[in-house]
Amino acid sequence: MRRLVVAALVAFVLSPATFEAQALTVPNRLGSLKFAAIGDNGTGDQPEYDVARQMDLWHRRFAFDMVIMLGDNMYGSQRAADFVQKFERPFRPLLDAGVKFYASLGNHDNPSNDTYKFFNMGGARYYTYTRGNARFFVLDTNSLDATQLAWIENALKNSPEQWKIAYFHHPLYSNGRRHGGEVELRVRLEPLFVKYGVNVVYSGHDHIYERIKPQKGIQYFVSGAGGELRRGDLKRSADTAAGFDQDRSFMLNEIDGDDLFFQVVSRTGETVDQGVLHRPRQPS
Amino acid sequence: MRRALDFAFDHYLLAPLGGAIALIWANASSATYFEMTQPLTFAVNDVGMAIVLAYVAQGVFEAASVGGSLHSWRRAYVPIVGAVGATAGAVFVYVAFIGAGDQVALMQGWPVVCAVDLFLSLAVARVVFQRRPAIITFVLALAIASDVIGLVVISRPMVASSTHPTSTALLVPAIGASVALRRAHVRSAWPYVVVAGSMSWFACFFGGWHPALALLPIVPFLRHEPRNWIGFDDPADGAHATSRHFEYIFKYPIQAIVLLFGLVNAGVLIRGVDAGTWAVVVASLVGRPLGIVAALVICRWAGLPLPRGLGWRETSVIALAASPGAGFGLFFASAVFPIGPMLMQARIGALFTVAGVLLALGAARALRVGRFAAAAEQTE
Repeated sequence: MRRLVVAALVAFVLSPATFEAQALTVPNRLGSLKFAAIGDNGTGDQPEYDVARQMDLWHRRFAFDMVIMLGDNMYGSQRAADFVQKFERPFRPLLDAGVKFYASLGNHDNPSNDTYKFFNMGGARYYTYTRGNARFFVLDTNSLDATQLAWIENALKNSPEQWKIAYFHHPLYSNGRRHGGEVELRVRLEPLFVKYGVNVVYSGHDHIYERIKPQKGIQYFVSGAGGELRRGDLKRSADTAAGFDQDRSFMLNEIDGDDLFFQVVSRTGETVDQGVLHRPRQPS
Repeated sequence: MRRALDFAFDHYLLAPLGGAIALIWANASSATYFEMTQPLTFAVNDVGMAIVLAYVAQGVFEAASVGGSLHSWRRAYVPIVGAVGATAGAVFVYVAFIGAGDQVALMQGWPVVCAVDLFLSLAVARVVFQRRPAIITFVLALAIASDVIGLVVISRPMVASSTHPTSTALLVPAIGASVALRRAHVRSAWPYVVVAGSMSWFACFFGGWHPALALLPIVPFLRHEPRNWIGFDDPADGAHATSRHFEYIFKYPIQAIVLLFGLVNAGVLIRGVDAGTWAVVVASLVGRPLGIVAALVICRWAGLPLPRGLGWRETSVIALAASPGAGFGLFFASAVFPIGPMLMQARIGALFTVAGVLLALGAARALRVGRFAAAAEQTE
């Protein structure tokens, strides 16, 4: 037993060193827009803390200044103490480092969480904000009513930014066995995304990571294993470009000019996917 | 062929047929299904269903008229109290179920479980109680009353987001026109529907009430004849009463509407099962029957006259017969939830409540109620 404890302590002490061995594949350029993405994290259990710790470790080398949250930011009870247990405590190092979290609402989130200060939603269940040359559109796919549809169309239409990035909880495309793509949402949203030139869409809900092959010119990511995990739930199809369903994961992203670099990191610090998207230049 | 069609029409089998087509289509080619049916939803659910509800409600209104099987207000109260019990029981269980979990956003879906599929309930009642028209009428009245409660309830979010609630005042000229037509002894149903019905529809639509309710305020002003048995299958040619003419002109359009109703509402992807699904199922199959039984206990205690031959075994069977939300649950779900996963969960739950048909038939058989009592006697 004593040996086991000593071994565990050694492993714990050495883990940052092990972590250092992992390569950062995003270019980490000066002045680029850097952000992380997590989904379905709010369990308050040890895996969420592990993911948060990994994010903190990677943040020391890749100083992302914001995190997009893909919904199910809180599971179960959602009282004040739960916000501490399931969000503030695990992500305290990032919060202290000035990293801002921008949340979307998932099916397990209380709709009133849009007023929680650290989620930066400003009391709105759907909203938009700009960072550098990128505009982010955050939707509430729990309730995609006509008002929200009119809002997103108007917001997209009036967005001059080079990069248009949408994120929300329920994926339009997914090969997760448990949920899969939400076709009814897709029928409503995809035509708008195509028409107004959305480049990338991030979602959660399925507790896996999956990169879908570009659909109608749009890159879709499912990143719903930030705390929850459904091991073996990815049923790869011809549309699957890459996937990981063996452990929790989160995404690092970097936008530099017309390129968006991404790196997907597991709970143990392994890189499980990486790549770059090139934004086609619009004719001037 | 003709007989088969008549049978399908009489038992409203085009609704489940449309539902079956939708189910297969949505699961085989979901994108094409939603692209094709979403544009039809408004026409079917908000316009067509106004005619369907009026069509069914006018039959119940006649049953409550002098000489009808629900005549006397005391007798007519019973299915209304039963509907209140059904609604309360189902809603209580739904809220408790969702409250026990953490998907709070699903709480807004409680009106879904107010829905009773009156076509399925009627079909079960006709199969079991084939020689007891008073009980069949009672089941239908209970189902309609539940759906009317539900329709009023699902109008609430529309009221909240409505831009012109004062438009409800258009009901006044609509009812005024109905009164004038009745006093002028107009026997054709067309003026009632086109003139008064249109005004009423706009009153509901712009006033924030569900447009499917639009023709219900008009129905009482149609010229009626009392009848004991509510059967929609053989309307006369309209020689005597406006209500008969109403049935006559809408007999076949109704069938097209119920087919489309099944088609646009029942296309659900079965993989969307989640907490909302089970909440609808448990509320409908457990909460609603318990609510009905409790309400009828209260009626008996209060001295209200229950339909003749309605003992506790029969009560148990009709309570289960009223448990499927099915098509109406799908319809209500579409009104309560916007497009999205919560809607899908609720829709699957509504579909699963079709199991209530089997429960009702099983209970009738086990308790030897209606035709099963006769069959048991013959066997013995």
